[in-house]
Amino acid sequence: MHPRASYPTLFIPGDSWLHRIHPFNKLCYILLTGVSAYLLPGEWLKDIVLLLINLGFLLSAGIFKSAWKLIWKTMLPLVLFMIPIHGILYPGNHTLLISLQWFHLYREGLLFACNTLLHLLILLVASLLFVFTTLPADLISTISQTAGSPVLAYLIGSPLLLLPAMRERIVTIQSAQQSRGLDTQGNFLKRCYGLFPLLIPLVLGSLIEIEQRSVALELRGFKSEHPKTFVRKVSDSRLQKRVRQLMLVLTICIIGYRVVG
Amino acid sequence: MGFSEKIKKDFTTTVMVLMAVAIVINIAAGQLVSMLKLPIFLDSIGTVLVGIMAGPWAGGLTGLLTNLIWGMISSPVAAAFSPVAMAIGIAAGLCAKYGLFRTWWLAIISGVIITFFNAVVAVPIKLYLFGGITGSGADFITSYMLALGKGLFGSVVISVFTSNLIDKVVTAVLSWGIVKALPERTAGRLPRVNAVTLKN
Repeated sequence: MHPRASYPTLFIPGDSWLHRIHPFNKLCYILLTGVSAYLLPGEWLKDIVLLLINLGFLLSAGIFKSAWKLIWKTMLPLVLFMIPIHGILYPGNHTLLISLQWFHLYREGLLFACNTLLHLLILLVASLLFVFTTLPADLISTISQTAGSPVLAYLIGSPLLLLPAMRERIVTIQSAQQSRGLDTQGNFLKRCYGLFPLLIPLVLGSLIEIEQRSVALELRGFKSEHPKTFVRKVSDSRLQKRVRQLMLVLTICIIGYRVVG
Repeated sequence: MGFSEKIKKDFTTTVMVLMAVAIVINIAAGQLVSMLKLPIFLDSIGTVLVGIMAGPWAGGLTGLLTNLIWGMISSPVAAAFSPVAMAIGIAAGLCAKYGLFRTWWLAIISGVIITFFNAVVAVPIKLYLFGGITGSGADFITSYMLALGKGLFGSVVISVFTSNLIDKVVTAVLSWGIVKALPERTAGRLPRVNAVTLKN
């Protein structure tokens, strides 16, 4: 069994402290970070501290290099669009910074763009901490063990396993229809007609399979009410539970503070 | 019949498997039609299908999970829009429930309604989380509207609505056609598949 090879997620194999933490704790951490970034007072200083903490976590888990690549890939288009659009067109613009003929860059829009980008970056890094260090199999077993919902576990686990097969099927359909003369280079209308021969085999083909799949699940007693045993056990110490509860309470407090204050 | 019983009746094993397959269709369909270079993404066709065939709750959950899983396989940004995908599923389910998927032209109306629901949820997320800009083609519409002197809110509303309208209408019509084409053997196992036929 090679569970790591069979999932198409961003997970990076490793054995850091972050890999060993209970998946729900990492999810709660994303929630807490997001709420702190957007709702806590104290503008720039707080945001930079939050970012540094998260980057520190990335470093200590040894996933900084891969995260760095993804952060660039995600943030670069946002930076390229946001800085000029808000710098030039932000409705609250007053203070002129740079002015070259038709090009006027304003301070308010630039600050707004940087602030939004910083918040997004914090949220992105916090989610990467979860995505990069959580083995999907662990997440799925915690959902069915800790949260007690095998249905939800199936709904997250099964698509991850189906996806590679579906990608193969896509290539098959594309080449089959092209060999039958599907026009992918013609005018707009012709390409619109191409939607049907591509999409219908994929969707109908997979929908027809659901009958077999559900019969197979029922035969294996998926909906059985009897208590089940688990092959994978994810460690969930008392300390981890406490930390999780603490993070949730803090999140609620911050939201409450913002609603009342 | 109580509320929880109603949900239980909708969530049979077949529906659960349908949802899992629909999530994969959502993720894969865009890749499939990308070779046609059309201005549509079709990333919610599975969600709409589940909404029609299994009701608003199943549809909403399918949308939500699609984007969360997307967040795990490509980029966490997709996960930020999971409430939007959920709204699409709920809207499709409600449209089907009130008979708006019976014919192809009613499906077009459903597509417009879905676009509206989509905008109601997407605009606040785009505005507060992303400052109105998400680094995609729709940003050109937003910046054009800003340049015309519209406020940030108005600009984002217009860009979200226009960039989704064609996609959602095409998605709704295709979904109608697909549900209609399902063989009896598969359709018989799904609770609300009658939503696409004229007489009920």
